[in-house]
Amino acid sequence: MTTIDIELLSVSKQFGSSHIVDDISLAIPKGKFVSILGPSGCGKTTTLNMIAGFEAPSSGLIRIRGRDQTGVPPEARKIGLVFQNYALFPHMTVAQNVGFGLRMQGRRREDIAEGVSRALKSVHLEGFEDRYPKALSGGQQQRVAVARAIAPSPSVLLLDEPLSNLDLKLRETMRVELKEIQEDLGMTFVYVTHDQEEAMAMSDRIIVMQGGVVAQEGSPADIYGRPRTSFVADFIGKSNILPISAVAEPDRSLRVYVGAAKVAMKAVAVNNLAPENARFCCIRPEAVRLADAAGALDEPVNRMTGTVQKVVNLGAYLEAWMLIDGDIILKSMIRSTRIDKLTAGCRVELAVAHSAVQLLEQ
Amino acid sequence: MNRLLTYLFRVALAAILAFITLPLVVVFAASFSPTSAVTLLPSEWTLKWYAALWDRRWLDPFLLSVELAVIVSLASGLLGVLGAYSVAYAKCPGHTAIMAFLLSPMSVPQIVKGVAIVLLLSSAGLYDLLGTPGLVMAHVILTLPYVVRMAATAMFGFDKRLDRAARILGASVAQRIRYVLLPLIRAGLFSGMTFAFIISFNNIPLSVFLVRPGQTTLPITVINHLEYSLDPVLAAVNVASLIFILGAIVLFEKIGGFSAQIHGGSK
Repeated sequence: MTTIDIELLSVSKQFGSSHIVDDISLAIPKGKFVSILGPSGCGKTTTLNMIAGFEAPSSGLIRIRGRDQTGVPPEARKIGLVFQNYALFPHMTVAQNVGFGLRMQGRRREDIAEGVSRALKSVHLEGFEDRYPKALSGGQQQRVAVARAIAPSPSVLLLDEPLSNLDLKLRETMRVELKEIQEDLGMTFVYVTHDQEEAMAMSDRIIVMQGGVVAQEGSPADIYGRPRTSFVADFIGKSNILPISAVAEPDRSLRVYVGAAKVAMKAVAVNNLAPENARFCCIRPEAVRLADAAGALDEPVNRMTGTVQKVVNLGAYLEAWMLIDGDIILKSMIRSTRIDKLTAGCRVELAVAHSAVQLLEQ
Repeated sequence: MNRLLTYLFRVALAAILAFITLPLVVVFAASFSPTSAVTLLPSEWTLKWYAALWDRRWLDPFLLSVELAVIVSLASGLLGVLGAYSVAYAKCPGHTAIMAFLLSPMSVPQIVKGVAIVLLLSSAGLYDLLGTPGLVMAHVILTLPYVVRMAATAMFGFDKRLDRAARILGASVAQRIRYVLLPLIRAGLFSGMTFAFIISFNNIPLSVFLVRPGQTTLPITVINHLEYSLDPVLAAVNVASLIFILGAIVLFEKIGGFSAQIHGGSK
């Protein structure tokens, strides 16, 4: 059985009449990398602030390591927090910044020095002890912020969009490094972000938030492969989201009629969704294949004819917009090697696996 | 055209600087003049007026003024930080009104304040407070707004996320003030205390009501002396005070490092 490090029970936060966080319950297992993912204003930062203790829930209970945290101030919660803007102390050197938490605990000088060098080692910043934050690059400041948060060895580390101020290349490197640090230390990471790629790349578990509630929770593969709502399908990765009506066939398979032209396709139900409740379906662009290439697929497919509307070259892949039955448009990702087959206006045979047509609640 | 403008700017700048410094040049020259007459270019140079300063008649008032300025700058520094903390940082209820109240002594003429304080002390029968205690109180009333203003400005500019960062790292409120807030507002605080020091050291309008006979501050002693004679010893006193104050500013700057803030420098 896994231990639960952080638990939220029916937590709500209201400011005046607006519900920033509305009755959410979460269990964050020990030693896992968990992301809270959502667009701005979805309540993810408020949730983080409530876990850290900077804001008190309007109702509900937060437990950390099994203990109720009501009335416990942030300084007594023994958790780490990495800020979006790093919030390094400008008047202290790197070593003083990193050692601050240990110093506040009243540790001995040698212990602090040892903790500082261990933390700086895990973020690969040895030799920067005597620099001031101003003399560091953004990426280095980010590392110092992480080192400062992990130096007192908290069991939980909260990270509030820590990579959003870095450039793309650095962000990609830091993703890998943060994941490595988390695995090395076996610490519970709660990572708040609006960047779905970041969340996909690092997380063991993703909690997607929308409008103050949890839209879906699961492993990255779950969230990507079996989105429950059109919001999740749209927010995580690219997808074709189309209005449908669905009917259950006698053989327990599903038939859906897509768009105004009622293009018939076979589909599969995921997440135990009853067909009469399905309003949309999601087809990932990489699941729309050219029929001759799909021949190797050993699962049943929907075959259809499409007209190429436009082609965007993305390098390794082409994004081609296919018009089906003069009504619906399917965006597809096709390997660039097939570029000769795809010119605007030409007709192509397409194949979409039954399992790739997924029903969505709303 | 551009060069002409630059040239005009330089001339204007030189004129302004000359306007500010010329009186000082006269005083400086006069302090070395052997005759009692104040002249711009004395025919001979002497240090006898400076030698005359080494006398209890000038030393005692000087020491009293220094003592006052030190106590006043420390007291208004302490009170100013407390005031600025609750008003500008903790934002206590009614903080805007309290801030206006803390700054209000600036808008009352000093003569009025001086008369008011004397009337208060005499109606309360507190004649014993005349002299140093009364002077300290009166000067603090005068200097507190400067320190509050400077410290509050520094605290307004303080990034509160640093307080949160210290908090989540386990720092208590006392530790956060000591290790994070105070070091970061130190420059603002010390520049306020420097103002307090200089204002107290040079003050006449308040001190004139509160000094005890025979126990006067340096500026009051100068005024008293001026009633009987206008001789170069006053010029020597002025030059000596000026040098003392410059020294004090350098000292405060060494401790507080506020010129970095003023010039937007590093650190």
